[in-house]
This record gives sequence, structure tokens and C-alpha cells, in this order.
Amino acid sequence: MPTNPALFELLPLLAPLVLILAAIFSFLAKGPRPSLIPQLSEASALTSLGVALIATGSLMASGPYDSQTLGGSGIGLSVRLDAVSAVMFLLVAFIGWVVVRYTATYLDGEPRHGAFTGWLCLTLAAVILLVVSGNLFQLVLAWIATSLFLHRLLLFYPERVAAQRAAAKKFVTARVADLALIAASISLALAYNTTNIADISAAARLGDGGMLAIMAAALLAFAAVLKSAQFPTHGWLTEVMETPTPVSALLHAGVINAGGFLLIRFADVMVLAPGVLAVLVMVGGASALFGGLVMLTQPAVKTSLAWSTLAQMGFMILECGLALFPLALLHIVAHSLYKAHSFLSSGGAVEVVSANRRPGPVAIPNARSVARAFLLALAIYISVSLGFAFADKSPQAIALGAILIFGVAYMLAQGLADAAPRALTQRTVIFALASSISYFTLQVLAVWATQGALPVTPPPGPLQWGLIVLAVISFAMVAIVQAMFPLWAYHPAASGLRVHLSNGFYANAIFDRLLGGWRLSKQS
Amino acid sequence: MQNQLTHPDLDLTMLNQAVDRAIRAIPPAWPLASSVAVNPFLGQVDEGLTQLAARFERIAGASPTMPRHWYAAQIAKGDITDNDLIDALANAQMAGRPNDIGVLKTAAQTARPQINAVPTIADLAARVSGIDWPGLITERFGAWAAGYFDEGQALWAAPRAYGAYAAWRAVATHDLTPEIIGLAGFANHVAAAPEKATEALGQAAKVLALPPAAWQTYFHQLLNRQGGWAQYARYQLWQAELAGRTDHTLHDFLAIQLIWESALFARYGQQIAADWQDAKAIHASPLIISTDHAIDAILQEAAERGAQRRLALTLAAPAIGARDSRPAMQAAFCIDVRSEIFRRALESIQPSIQTLGFAGFFGLTAAHRRFASDVIEHRLPVLLNPGLNSVAGGPEQADADHSARYKARAARAWGRFKLAAVSSFAFVEATGPVYIAKLLHDALGMTKNKIPDDPMPRLDPAIDLQTRINMAESVLRAMSLTSNFARLVILAGHGANVVNNPHASALHCGACGGYSGEVNARLLATLLNDRQVRDGLSARGIIIPTDTLFIAGLHDTTTDQLTLFDQDCPLADHDADVNSAKLWLASAARITRAERALRLPHSGNEQSVVQRSRNWAEVRPEWALAGCQAFIAAPRLRTSGKSLEGRAFLHDYDWMQDKNFSVLELIMTAPVIVASWISLQYYGSTVMPDHFGGGNKLIHNVVGGMGVVEGNGGVMRAGLPWQSVHDGEKFIHQPLRLSVCIEAPREAMGEILQRHDQVRALFDNGWLHLFALDQSGHMAWRYAGNLQWTAVDLPELAQAPLSKAV
Repeated sequence: MPTNPALFELLPLLAPLVLILAAIFSFLAKGPRPSLIPQLSEASALTSLGVALIATGSLMASGPYDSQTLGGSGIGLSVRLDAVSAVMFLLVAFIGWVVVRYTATYLDGEPRHGAFTGWLCLTLAAVILLVVSGNLFQLVLAWIATSLFLHRLLLFYPERVAAQRAAAKKFVTARVADLALIAASISLALAYNTTNIADISAAARLGDGGMLAIMAAALLAFAAVLKSAQFPTHGWLTEVMETPTPVSALLHAGVINAGGFLLIRFADVMVLAPGVLAVLVMVGGASALFGGLVMLTQPAVKTSLAWSTLAQMGFMILECGLALFPLALLHIVAHSLYKAHSFLSSGGAVEVVSANRRPGPVAIPNARSVARAFLLALAIYISVSLGFAFADKSPQAIALGAILIFGVAYMLAQGLADAAPRALTQRTVIFALASSISYFTLQVLAVWATQGALPVTPPPGPLQWGLIVLAVISFAMVAIVQAMFPLWAYHPAASGLRVHLSNGFYANAIFDRLLGGWRLSKQS
Repeated sequence: MQNQLTHPDLDLTMLNQAVDRAIRAIPPAWPLASSVAVNPFLGQVDEGLTQLAARFERIAGASPTMPRHWYAAQIAKGDITDNDLIDALANAQMAGRPNDIGVLKTAAQTARPQINAVPTIADLAARVSGIDWPGLITERFGAWAAGYFDEGQALWAAPRAYGAYAAWRAVATHDLTPEIIGLAGFANHVAAAPEKATEALGQAAKVLALPPAAWQTYFHQLLNRQGGWAQYARYQLWQAELAGRTDHTLHDFLAIQLIWESALFARYGQQIAADWQDAKAIHASPLIISTDHAIDAILQEAAERGAQRRLALTLAAPAIGARDSRPAMQAAFCIDVRSEIFRRALESIQPSIQTLGFAGFFGLTAAHRRFASDVIEHRLPVLLNPGLNSVAGGPEQADADHSARYKARAARAWGRFKLAAVSSFAFVEATGPVYIAKLLHDALGMTKNKIPDDPMPRLDPAIDLQTRINMAESVLRAMSLTSNFARLVILAGHGANVVNNPHASALHCGACGGYSGEVNARLLATLLNDRQVRDGLSARGIIIPTDTLFIAGLHDTTTDQLTLFDQDCPLADHDADVNSAKLWLASAARITRAERALRLPHSGNEQSVVQRSRNWAEVRPEWALAGCQAFIAAPRLRTSGKSLEGRAFLHDYDWMQDKNFSVLELIMTAPVIVASWISLQYYGSTVMPDHFGGGNKLIHNVVGGMGVVEGNGGVMRAGLPWQSVHDGEKFIHQPLRLSVCIEAPREAMGEILQRHDQVRALFDNGWLHLFALDQSGHMAWRYAGNLQWTAVDLPELAQAPLSKAV
């Protein structure tokens, strides 16, 4: 162990520090092929990944801690290291390294290679500062800085009109979210008389806080909803492909998680406000279904991925609303890894689409196959759950499991279609079993890893029961509709719905209209 | 309403002709899964560069030549000499021609005056309303067209059963976006539009009071604004016509664009009336060639003459060696310029190796089905229809075929599970952590290079012996390979090896329809190893020794690895030959990579060239055909030992063996045309990147599995991406129109030009340059157009400083 534990506890701050240094050198480098910048930026990203690994190791060895504050009277930099921050730190540092490494080659020859790398490193540094925050001041500062640095990346090609249009929407949404977070922080500081996040959580877990805490919870929820691009404030997220691919990867795998992270970080405060959580269930659930349906209609690969992010964030918010915070954290991690890879490899879409055409037409399941698939999925759910101590689970967790199993039913339905050969049926059943076992295992792991760091899911009241039933029914409906999709989707009556869906119910058009997004710029 | 539709004063036949001309002014764009280079000026080959400049100035506000400083830099460097300027000036058309080269030199120093397209109604409406109508139309049209052309990206595909116009109307009558942005009643306007596109065209022409003379350039302008979408629609027409059908998609696109124009006219007509009158008057007037157009064209021609002078010097250098004994090995490659480096490297290792150049589909127009695939791939030049059917694997692989299909279908089911509503959540929570491994794998470039390894292709249905003998004979004669066969003859197709690249097919073999070339090579090797075919050939005077073995290969142009398909045939006593061939090929690969590494950005030694093929972030895995300048049809001895720097298409041709000049005719009407498409695609993507370039790879967004857009959407981008012609600091492709050099009698070439108007137009209008080589391979005669030839002053060439040699 290091000689000075107090200093060692501040080690995670080294990660943003080296990234900021790399950013400074990058900004100074000019030209399309700045020498050493690729190596330097990747080295700094690797260093932060190394720091994240050390921090996680120390967490596993000696438990969570709350460092001293560099600065005075609660204002300054400090580190809160627990399961939540360590997981997020590792995630961001890992994806950060992949993205920085990608950038080194991808941006080669680009006139502003250095500036791009600089803003990328700064954004990463800000996200890391955010997730390891020990106090409200640092949290707010890093939150705002992340958004401002990202803004520069979104406008990497400032002359692109569509980029301006998207960035304008993002800017407005982000500033409102900033205000909400600032107000939430003030409420928290007043409610608990401290800016220390660990102290706030500890007090909230005892039930302290009163009305101010409930107000803070509402404001946090509002900020999180805006930051997670939930319907109808999603406009900025689905249009930010106007900038090089690594930015999309970082945005969809790193920055977008800030909202969810906020809810998980203040989970103890959030459970004080069941009403706020109920709203999150509705907003998140609706966005999940909405985003998922819109995604079905999108012919462009990156746009489709962006709508998928909206849906996945909705699902994560739904999990927060059900007070299943460990699962929300699992969802953030799993989704980030998946989405970073999907964006960075989106150039393969041509090959994916042509490969899908080669083995011939897709077998379409009829109503009977779909019903069989759902029954089979239910059987899988029950048998797998028995192995995972079903009875100990909260009703919320059981409901969530049911929602996930509807997805598995879709997989089975494809294999059970009459036209599907036996070999295909066997394979889809194996896939279904494997994914069921995999996610129940991961859920158990997530709950185990965050034990103590996150509050236990409270027993549902009548409102929660109502929402749980509503959620299960709506997801089931969509799942059935989806499974029988080709049978009805090309009916003329559905074509109007498809038009409105593919335009995301015009939320963007209205936002653009309000911001004057289609006005001609002055100079032209 | 009905009265309006009958248009008593509108000549519908004339209108349809104008629409048809506008449609044919648009070049086709192939889908990215099998993309090939296309001449972007395909519809304008009947006019020259000056006329084209006037046309594109009017419709697009763009110039089909480089910025002036590009020429000034070449004049300063001495790459363009005074003589080049004088010759180019003397050769120029009268219209707008300056008096002396002083004017040219001054003009090169000053930027070309700003040029603007004639405004459309959308442009004029934007000026008076302050709303970006052209941008909105582009965005809305793109959003619809992407869905309409989707090949399988969206799980919920857009309907397209009743044609583009009907599909668009069904969408536009529901879409509320235009209303929200400020065009109230647009959906109703669309609903009230005629049900047939032809009638909508007529109605618009009437409502907008378009004079017939204005139709053509106005319609061309509207279609040109749709960029790649219009080009992809033009491709549908191309395919339909090749199959003897027709297609109305582009028709429909024009009607859609005109409905937007009339809706905006209905809204803003009063405010823009005078400007619209002016715009129509310009469209109705003939194209005017200005002095600037003439200057640009002369400077361009001078740059080409400079390059031709350097090429002539290279060709004038003494040839190395002669061949009489049996070669140690023969290797035939595609004429693709990338083969030139490899062939030179291979010959340098062992001078008794003979290499040949021939179109990479090896004369076999195969409609091929891959292993475990239902999709028929046209592995042949896109100008032709398939002449034979082939399939990978035979009955003995039926079980493997089935299990491969099940695997692929299960993978597809998994992919749908990943993307569908509801199930995508289960997918993420179950498999997210797997992506740690995937990210590591791809970030560290651990992907293995995939080499096509389908089972041997076979003809299906089989072809009778006589036809096979005919095929073999015509291919061998077209290759000028009829005698002196080596013990081992390699037939090397080519393909690229890249990851995460939407434009991968553009790096494959263009002569094989944008696929890699191993299938055609393997088919030909099998054909030529067939004893019965050989017996038939010897009866026709082509005697292949019994100890000659043909082996197919695949030249991987990204890594320069050349894979031999030596398992296709029993090697018998050729083990030793194959083993030494493999050693030679491996050495040649290293030499080739070392030469290419010098030209590739951020590359170190030759091994780094291999690594970049696996890097998922690499936007410049190879330069493909960038830099192509010349096409040479002559015996290899004329060029062997001379570095053509990977800039020349090399086609073996020996006119002394060519009875009736039928092979010459084939070369001038097929490989030369393909090469011209490639050369002019590079030209168009370089000089007019906004119109004929594929855009910025960094913000590419693949749509429908068939094309790319930049960023969120809008116009589909066809052509070569910016990163394929520019390395970030300089152009890698010099936009020079191709110099075709053929060793053949001028009279024979003249007769062929006389028979083929379209080919002749390419040469007469300057889209290609033609030179006749003399029997020592010197560029002796220049085709001056109109079936005239002028002697090239060779002694003068010899005096040019040698440092300027290619």
C-alpha cells in the first residue's frame, strides 16, 4: 500500500490530468498530420485506463472511500470511489482509449486533427471528473464542462448547416439540464447542509432530507431525462451524426450516460420520492417503446443506432424508476460497450445487409408460432429463474425479467416459423437459452457488486403495482406486434403510421421551427 | 382539374423527349455492395469540355476543371511547358479562345471568377422567405428516398410496390414536416397532384409556364440536385434496359421535384415572378462558351500534354530484352493499374517470368452464386449481359451448403433479435460484456484477412464442349496468348481486403462488376485445363503443351498477397513449379508493398501496409486506381523494365496476330471504355467533388446497405470519397484524362472509330486521348480528332530534361 493514503485516494484525478495535458499539446499541434499527437493522446488514454484499473483494484482490496477535498469549504476536487464510480470510471476510460486510438488513424490527414484530439481528450477528462466526483461542486462543473467540450466536437465541421441545426437543439437542451442540475445541487446542499455526495447519500438512506430532498429528486430526474434524450427532448441526439464517427461513439457510449449516472449516484435521494420515480417509469417506458419502434423504420445505420440509444436510455430510466439501480448500472455498461462498437464498426453495414440477403428469404412466423414462442419463453424464464432464487426477487425485478423474456420470445418466434427448418429452430432455442442464462447471471453479478453502494428496491405500493402491470402489458403488446410484424406492417392502414413514426412524431421539426433551424444563415 | 391535365397547348411528345434527355444526362450509380466506376459525364460525351463547363455553370454553378492555381503550380514547376500551352492552344476550339499563351499564364495566376447556377424556384423562394427551402427539399427527399431504396437496413421497410411516384405521394400526403416548417397545405398540394408522374410533369410545365427551350437544362438541374439518389435511379434504368425492359423511377423523381417547385411557386409566385422569368430565359437560351471556359479547357489540355510528354519519354527509353525461350512461368493479371507494380516486381525477381495483362473477368461473363447463397452476382463488366451461369460447389458439398445456410440464417435471426423493439433490451443486457472482447479485438486490429475460400466454382448449367472450345479460343486470342506456353500459367484475378469500409467493393475488380476476381479466374483455369477443350484448341491452331498447367490466383491489392487456388486441380508433377511460384510471388509482394508504402500516408515499412488492411479506423487502406493516366495496349516487351508507377492500364496486344483486327475492336470498345469510366470517375470526383464525389468518409452514414450520405441524411453521395483522391496534404490523383496508347496501324483504329460512334465521340471530344505506338513502342502518332492523325515530334521529346520523366 502507498505510504500516504490521503494522496493515494486522489490518484483517480491523475486520469483527467494526463488527458488535459494531452489536450493542451494537441491544441498546439497544427496541420493534418501532427507528429506524436496520436501516440501522446493514446498514451494518456491508456494511462487513465491504468489508473481506473488501479482504483478498482484498491476498491476490491480495501473498500470504498471518500477522499479529502482539494480546495476549501466543500468547494474543490475530491474523489468518491465506490462500486458505482469505479464501474463508470473503468467503462469511460476503456471506451475512451478505444475511441482515442481509433481517432489517431481515422483523423489522419484531417486539417484540424490536433484540435479534434484536443477536444476529445478534454471531453473524456470531464466525463471522468464527473463520475468520480466526491462533491456537488465538482459534479456540476464536470457536467457542464462535458457538454461544452462535446459541443465543440459536434461542430467540428462548423460550416455544415445540419450540424448547426443539431448542435443548436443540443445546446438549448443541455443548458436547461444545467440549470436543473444546479438547482438540484443547491436543494441538496440546503437539505443536507453539505456538498459531500457520500454524506448526502448516507443521510438520505436514513430517510432525512424532507421536502427539499424531494424537490432535489425531481430536479435530478428532470436533468437526467433531458440528458438521456427522452421523448420529446430527444431531438438533439438523433441528429448528431454530422461529426466524425469517434464522436458518435463517445457520445453514445460515454456522455449520454451522464443522466443515468446522476440517478444512480443519488439513488438514495431518489427513493425518497416515489412519485418522481413513477414519472421516470412512465417517461422511460414510453421512450423505450417509442425509440424502439422508430428505429425499425430507419434506413441509415447511424441514425438507427441513435434511435436505439434513445430507446436503451429509456429502458435504463425505466429501471431507475422501478428503483432497480444495479440493473440500470448494468444496462449502462452493457449498452455503452455495445453502442461504442456498433458506431465504430458502422462502415460494415453494406456487408451486413448483403450478407443478410444471401441465405434467402426470412421465415415469417404466424400467430400460432408467436403464441408458442411466448409460451416457450415463459417456460425458459421460469426454469432459469428457479436456478437464480426467483423467490428472493422484488416484484419489480420479476416484472423486468418478464419484459426481457418477451424479447427472447421474438428470437424463438423466428425459429418456430413454419417455414423455418429444424436446424434453425434448434439454433434459435440455444441462443434463447444462452441469452436468458447470460442476463440473469449478469443481473446477479450487478446486484452483488453494488451491494451496499445502492439502496435496496423498496416494496411496491399501489401506484408502483399499477405501473408495473402497465409496463409489462405494453411491452408484451409491442413484443407481440413486433413478432407478427411482416403480417401487418405492409397493410395500407399502417403506412400512415409508419410515416409519422419514421419522423419521430415531428418533435424535431417542431423544435427546429422554434429555434429557427431552417432559417437561412446571415452570411448566405 | 381535368381541363388542366389535358394541356391543349403542350406538346407532350416533346416534353417526354426533353425529360428523357434530362434523365440520360444523369450518370448511373451502382449500389455499394457491387459498385463500379462510372463516367460522371456519360450523358455529355457528345460535347467537349468547354460546352460541359458552360452546362455545369448553368445547372450547378460548378466547373469541371481544377482551380486555376493548380495549373499555375504546374506551370511554375515546369510540368506544363510553354510548348504544352502552345500546342493546347493551337488544338483548342475557336469559341472563346484567347490569342496567346500570355493570356493563359496570367489567367492561371488569377482565381476563376465566381460562378453561380441559375436559381430554381426553391432558391428564389428561400431568398424572399428566409427559409432554407432547397435544404428542406433535399432533406425530405433524402429521408424518403433512403427508405424507398433500402435493401434491408430497416426491419420495417418502406413500401415500394407501385413505383417511386406513388410511394412518394403516399408518404408526402402524410408527412407533416413541410407544414411545420412553414409550407402550409403541402400535403394537400401533393394529394391534389395527378396520379401519374407523366401528368404531373405536364401540369408542372404548364403551371410554371416553362417554354420548351428551357426544359432540358432546367430538368437536368433538378435531377442533378438529387445527387446520388438520381444516379441510383438512373442505374435502375440502366439495368432495366440491359435486360430489355424500361424503368420510370427517374421520371418519377423529376415529377416529385417539380411538385415541390410548383408548391413553392403557388406560395411565393407573386414575389419571385420577375426573377423566375429571368431564370427561365437563361434556361431557354443556348449555352454560351466564355473565355474562361476556353482558358480552363486549354489549361487542362496543357496539363495532359505535359503528362503525355513524360509518358512518351518513358516509352522511348530502350526496351529490355527479347523473348524466345520458354518462360519460367506465365502470370496473367487484370489490366488494373495496381497490377503494373506487381508485374514489374515479379519480372524483376526472375526475368524469365512472363506477365500478361487482360481484363480481370478473363472474358467469362459469369452470373455467379456464392456458396450457400441465393443471390446472383454479375461478375462481369456492367456494360454486358451475363453469358454463363456458375455456382460455388457441387452436389458433393450439398450438406456443407445446408449447414452454412442454417448458420447464416441463425446469425440473421440473432441480428434481428439485436435490432427489434423490446428484444433489443434483452440483447443488450445479455451480451453487452461480450463487446469488451469485440472492442479489444477490433481496436488492436486482430481481425484476420479474409481470403475468398468458396469451393471451386462450376458451370451450372454445364456448357457443351463446342461452346467451351469457342470460349477458350476467343479468350486466348484476346489475350494474345496462343503459343509459347510455360509449364505453369497463373491467371490472377484481384480483390481488395479491407475492414469496416462501405466502399470496399470499389476497391475490387471493376471488370468483375465490383466483386473480387477469383471466380472468373478459377472458371477459366478449369476450362483451359480440360483435355477435351485443349484437343479442340489444337485443331484451331492453339497448341497447349500437355505439361502446361493453369492455376487461378487472387491478387489482394491491399496487401499484395497473391493466393493460388492450387487445390482446384491435381498438380501431378507441378509441385516444384508451384512451390517456386509461391516463393517468387511472396518476394514480389514484398517489393510491391515497399513501393506502395512510399505513396501511402502514415505508413512505415512494407509490413505496415498489411496491418493497415486490418485497421478498422483506416480510411485510406490503399490508393486503388488513383493516379491512373494511361492505357497501353501493346506487347509487354514495349513496357517491361520501365516504371509506370502504377499509373497505367496494361493490356497485352500483338496486332500482327490479330486477323481482321477483331481483337483490336474488342479492346477499343470494351477495356478502353471501362478504363475511361474509371479515369473519368477519378476526374469527376477530383474536380467536382460536391457533385460527383463520395464526400467525407469521416461522416459517412450508410443508408439502406446500398449508399452513403454525409451526416444525418440529405443527398446520397456517389463517386469516390474525398479520402480516395486526396491524402490530406495533396491530391493523390492528378485529374488528367486518359491517354490511350495502342500499337496498331492507324488505319485499323480509324476504321473501328468509324464503326463505333460512341467510342469515337470519347476521342473526338477529348474525353480520351489516343496515340498510335510504332513498332518500337514509341508514341509516334496522336489522334487529332475527326479521324485525323498528327505525328508526335519524338526528337524534341528526347531533349526534354530527364528529371521530368514519369
